[in-house]
Amino acid sequence: MLNQRRTLLRVAAYRRVARAWPGWMPRMSFAPYQSAPRGDVLVCVFLRGAADVLNMVVPHGEAAYYSARAALAIPRPDDPRARADLRAIDLDGFFGLHPALAPLWPAWQARQLAFVHACGAPDESRSHFQAMELMERGVDSAAGPASGWLGRHLGSLSTGTRSPLRAIGLGERVPRALLGPVPAAALRSIADFHLGGDARAAEQLRGALAALYAGGDPLDTLGREALGLAELIEQLDPLGYRPAADARYPEGDFGMGLRQLAMLIKAEVGLEVACLDMGGWDTHVAQGGSQGWMAGLLAELGAGLAALHADLAAQADRLLVVVMSEFGRRVEENGGLGTDHGHGSMLLLLGGGVVGGRVYGRWPGLAPEQLVGPGDLAVTTDYRDVLGEIVARRLNNPRLAEVFPGYTPRFLEVVHQRAAVAGSSHSRRSSP
Amino acid sequence: MPFTRRQFLTLSSVAGAAALLAGCRSPAELLAGLPPPAAWPSGRDPAWHALSRLTFGPRADERAHVAEIGLAAWIDEQLAPEQLDDRPADLRVRRFDILTMDSSLIFDVREANARRQLQQATLLRAVYSRRQLYELMVDFWSDHFSISTAKGDGAWLKPIDDRAVIRPHALGSFRDLLWASLHSPAMLQYLDNHANYRDAPNENYARELMELHTLGVQAGYTQGDVRELARCLTGWTVDQQLFRGQFRFDPAQHDDGAKQVLGLHIPAGGGQHDVEQVFEQLLAHPALPQQIARKLVRRFVADDPPPQLVAAVATTFTHTRGEIKAVLRTLLHAPEFATAPPKFKRPLHYLAGALRQLNANTNGGPPLLEALARMGQPLFMWPTPDGFPDATAAWSGGLLTRWQLALALATNALPGTSIDLDALMRAAGTREATGLLDRLGTLLLGAPLAPAVRGQVAGALAHTGDDRAAYVAALLAAPAYQWR
Repeated sequence: MLNQRRTLLRVAAYRRVARAWPGWMPRMSFAPYQSAPRGDVLVCVFLRGAADVLNMVVPHGEAAYYSARAALAIPRPDDPRARADLRAIDLDGFFGLHPALAPLWPAWQARQLAFVHACGAPDESRSHFQAMELMERGVDSAAGPASGWLGRHLGSLSTGTRSPLRAIGLGERVPRALLGPVPAAALRSIADFHLGGDARAAEQLRGALAALYAGGDPLDTLGREALGLAELIEQLDPLGYRPAADARYPEGDFGMGLRQLAMLIKAEVGLEVACLDMGGWDTHVAQGGSQGWMAGLLAELGAGLAALHADLAAQADRLLVVVMSEFGRRVEENGGLGTDHGHGSMLLLLGGGVVGGRVYGRWPGLAPEQLVGPGDLAVTTDYRDVLGEIVARRLNNPRLAEVFPGYTPRFLEVVHQRAAVAGSSHSRRSSP
Repeated sequence: MPFTRRQFLTLSSVAGAAALLAGCRSPAELLAGLPPPAAWPSGRDPAWHALSRLTFGPRADERAHVAEIGLAAWIDEQLAPEQLDDRPADLRVRRFDILTMDSSLIFDVREANARRQLQQATLLRAVYSRRQLYELMVDFWSDHFSISTAKGDGAWLKPIDDRAVIRPHALGSFRDLLWASLHSPAMLQYLDNHANYRDAPNENYARELMELHTLGVQAGYTQGDVRELARCLTGWTVDQQLFRGQFRFDPAQHDDGAKQVLGLHIPAGGGQHDVEQVFEQLLAHPALPQQIARKLVRRFVADDPPPQLVAAVATTFTHTRGEIKAVLRTLLHAPEFATAPPKFKRPLHYLAGALRQLNANTNGGPPLLEALARMGQPLFMWPTPDGFPDATAAWSGGLLTRWQLALALATNALPGTSIDLDALMRAAGTREATGLLDRLGTLLLGAPLAPAVRGQVAGALAHTGDDRAAYVAALLAAPAYQWR
């Protein structure tokens, strides 16, 4: 019943798109995009402000964790003194999920969810801005290309798609990670993506804009892409989108963004990479433990990701979500019941291609002598090891030296090699 | 021939101050030498170029004024803003009581209302103030010492910071500006220094004070310096009780041990004076003039600041001990300023400029503030302490939201804001398509569109119901209008 309804909706979406298909794209209802050597749709969620990953995936097997965090620690899964719904949810006997991330439990059980703990960047500035910039550029230091790692991925791989929706950033502006030779669009809300005004005036203005943006300047290109995008999205009817019945997106920008991504993914508009930000993680003061400020953020994150996963159950084999943050936070809580800037962070991976149900990475430990800098979790896995593996194995891009110049990723085997697409006449399988 | 003198004068009078025009050099003379827009923006008229950079948008009356007194004299005027009668702007913002309320009253205002009043006043000043360079510097320092009103008590405390920290010192001395910011309750709270305790230091403010406000992340300070500066700043707090919102030094929370910051030994027992010593150390640090100069040159000249100009501006900063007017003089009279490549307008510049150049009548109300947010610049709500970005790449993805605004503005679809299309048409003196596009092009872009493009635009708009509005919308949406 559910599947039937989903299929109907997809067909309806196809019809709408087919009717409106601009000339620069092949007609997808007859020649789906899988015929190009295109990989997963990569959804990159960036937690801005350095999320406290030690309270997201809790090392409940570490006594040092509990001694450093008298107020903020998440109780052990078997802690009889804590209410059951406020304890960590055991993952593997050593790590546990923050209880607010409970909506992700089905994905963990389905082995489509994995974490890479003590993962991060070599940068030790503990500066949000420098760390975010370097991480989004995918480089070690200020030297190196100014473009973003995703921008270079898109620029170094031809998937045969010229869709203006190949790469989008949901938010006010294009994130640094997407900057590169392939124009990426910034969408605040998909439903807002039209010229407005009455239809006639908008139509006339469109004609004028086509003339004004006909030149060869980069801004002309951006203008033409925006026009194409507006035209396409007007046909998609974003306000009419209904997610799968068991998918409940949380209120707010994050849930709304994911919901719109799901619509674009189902509508097969050529989307390959989407970036989405979630802010508010700079929890220096009154961070809270199982409940409170950060728990609220985690609840929104968990519910949003779980809804996307449920909504795209039929497309799970080509969905890959990566959640990252610029660095982690100090192991020891501070006097304001918050945490200061630290070092080691974590990656969350969700999707059909993930070798899930595991926490990856060598755990460096939290005893004082095992910490780095002023008392921080060490980084034992470079984030580019994981992203590089995804780029090679899930996005079919073998040119890792261009995506991560000066760095050779070492794969942890966190994702399956993407299978060649059936029925494809010229699909390429890449080897790392 | 784009314009006759009479036509320009009429257009100018539409835009406001005909009295200023008496005796001015022929604007037609000024405009006649402009290159065709195909070559734009590489060789624009110096006055247009300077006004585009140093105001929120070259109003026709301001252009006429520059034509009369010359660019150098106009810059002198702008560097002495206290001499400029600013009643038009003052009267428009007088009704915002948040601008004068002190902290004993301000918390009674509803949070959203407090925030909106500051945003609205800021937009109105950008549009109507004659002290344009001053307002641009207020904008610059509001980014440099960025505070989000979405955090903590920011909606109430930032209006106080705006009038007690940013505005008094925007063209004054950097030393006074930094000193005022150090004591700003809004800043101390925004960067968590109110929770920086003797036994539990919080590093947030200490770090941003060095990284963003003074030295820059590459200046060579260490994590140890951050930690020690945080210790110096313990006890610098904001009252939460009786005198809510006021700065207070709490000796009981101050770590009075000896410290070592940036190589400086601070003996034990210094109390509140610890910070004074570090303050001098920061001001004397060679990285400070470099960092401020780089940001100013980026704002006024180019996304990639020319190193020689940065060096020259930094030298003036050092020699004058941070006198901002002197620093600006070096910058504005440098050849690199005159030949600077175009800068992509940030959304506030785009919106305020359109309102200025079209001589709009606006209350700066919520529809415009929401449009600003949609374009990516919700005033005083940038989430991180580094301020709204100042680079083309950060903004060029948002064209569609600008086009939406252009259409709404031109069709008078925004409540509280109106442009007088009839008056504009009368001033242009023609309703014939190419002539009208040329005159509006000169008003908005500094020069008419290239004939080929103009023909296509006129063709596309030939059958609109209200072609006057469509022409204005198309020019505001044009690529050339995105640059200043």
